[in-house]
Amino acid sequence: MMKNINLFITSILEKVLILAMASIVIVVSWQVFSRFIIQSPSSFTEELSRFLLIWIGILGAAYAYKTKAHLGLDLFVEKMAPNRKHKVQILIECLAIVFATSVMIYGGFSLVSLAIELKQTSASLGLNMGIIYSVIPVSGLLILMFAVDNISQLIKLSSAQEDIVKGEL
Amino acid sequence: MDFTAIVLVVSFFALLFLNVPISICIGLATLLSLVMHMDFTPAATTIAQQMAGGIDSFALLAIPFFILSGLIMGQGGIAKRLIECAMALIGSLPGGLALVNVMSCMLFGAISGSAVAATSAIGSFMVPEMKKHGYSGEFGAAVTASAATTGMLIPPSNILIIYAIASGGVSIAALFVAGYAPGILLGLALMTVCSLYAIKNKYPVTARLPISVAASKVFAALPSLLLVFIVIGGIIGGVFTATEAGAIAVLYALVLSVGIYKEINLKQLPSLLLKACETTAIVMLIIGASSAMSWLLSYTHIPQTISEFFLTLSDNPLVVLLLINLILIVIGAFIDMTPAVLIFTPIFLPVAEQFGMSPIQFGIMIVLNLSIGLVSPPVGSVLFVSCAVAKTSIHKIIKPMLPLYAVMFLVLMLVTYVPAISEALPRFFGLIG
Repeated sequence: MMKNINLFITSILEKVLILAMASIVIVVSWQVFSRFIIQSPSSFTEELSRFLLIWIGILGAAYAYKTKAHLGLDLFVEKMAPNRKHKVQILIECLAIVFATSVMIYGGFSLVSLAIELKQTSASLGLNMGIIYSVIPVSGLLILMFAVDNISQLIKLSSAQEDIVKGEL
Repeated sequence: MDFTAIVLVVSFFALLFLNVPISICIGLATLLSLVMHMDFTPAATTIAQQMAGGIDSFALLAIPFFILSGLIMGQGGIAKRLIECAMALIGSLPGGLALVNVMSCMLFGAISGSAVAATSAIGSFMVPEMKKHGYSGEFGAAVTASAATTGMLIPPSNILIIYAIASGGVSIAALFVAGYAPGILLGLALMTVCSLYAIKNKYPVTARLPISVAASKVFAALPSLLLVFIVIGGIIGGVFTATEAGAIAVLYALVLSVGIYKEINLKQLPSLLLKACETTAIVMLIIGASSAMSWLLSYTHIPQTISEFFLTLSDNPLVVLLLINLILIVIGAFIDMTPAVLIFTPIFLPVAEQFGMSPIQFGIMIVLNLSIGLVSPPVGSVLFVSCAVAKTSIHKIIKPMLPLYAVMFLVLMLVTYVPAISEALPRFFGLIG
């Protein structure tokens, strides 16, 4: 059940990211095209592409968390005994949860409500910045979900067999 | 020094050594230091806002474009044509295959912005080829890794865009043009070592291709190289911005690999887009988190404290610049280039400027310096990719790397102490005063 929801959400996340990346290429190409070919520079493309980049950056961060693609320094952890390494891995997931909940979910949510309260709107599209910033708590929730899933798998692994841990790592 | 600085540094390194993702290290260390100055809610909100604000830049948008065009070019048969072109031009010199490897990496660097992409695209073809002709795999891997770093300097270069942001608005066009001479100088210096190494080890010399064949190989690579003129010409001529040039590069690479070379079909496109998103997001989260950290740094005046400390050490520019370089080399061995540029530019640039170095020259220097870290253990990402491609191990590659490290350091010293290497070209094009 949990696994299915996880897979479903990941596949939606992938589609949103692919769509955003394709759009950003089209939007900026349109900007060049409109300036040179039809000689009427479009005004909304720069802002739209910047907002798409924020979405790709922050939502993509959750995706990269899922695929374990974020850069780290594994120099010292790699040298640890399997048992200890396993504990450190659970600790890393917990620290990611701390970051996701405190900065991204709590801080991000407070930022969104602030933007709505102050009626902060973007210069050319007239969008409320709260809509743009909402990607931060959403991505935080996704990282939280992926981290909890990782922890449950790490615990399952250790309780099943110690040597599987060794093999998997 | 301030207590905040100690909390920031200690918590950052503690998290880093635990293998916490570096963007999260930066974010959590910043949060911890910030709550010493304000309540939790404004601290968390400020960091969230800085994260979004740090990414919210039209200039940064060039990065996903150059990542994507690099991915397309890596798979789209463009790398292969560049290699064949280099082969036709310099393949018959002593150590020809090693020289071809270096030149292909430079050409690939001239159309893409990532050293890792260059390493896998060029290395996966050149290292087996070198092995087939009697070169050792370790030497092949070492040559590929060090040559790939020329792409960090030869534009388009993502890291120079990141530096432009970190330095507070140096012109990307000027930086791009400034990268050519040091990048080519580094490439030529590496080639010299390769030739000497090949002569010493009596590696076989490849026969020269008939002129007609050579000409056709060069001709086949022209459409790929045309991209250089469109992108860089467009930026220098002020026709479009680096970001717009990036979008054009993506479209051009697509047309070339899907339409003309027919090595990518449209069904592969979504997975390339997703891969580009993943790489972009890793960089953007680091930029966002670093932007929060820079905000904290300037809020607590930490860079000034460090600058003043440096000024008390020595008033000799030669000594201070050497010291900065040595510190950066150590940093580069442990921290990846992007976060290192973002974190240490605001700290060291003011010091270098005190001694009369321009932000352009400093940018080239820091990028070249941290490139050494990219090809050094324990964490050099380019070195790892190159070892994986060559199916060799890190400890075996170190010996052939040693002369190449020496050359990189030599070029670094030239770039540090001879401003003209970085500044002559941008000045010629009127991009700096």
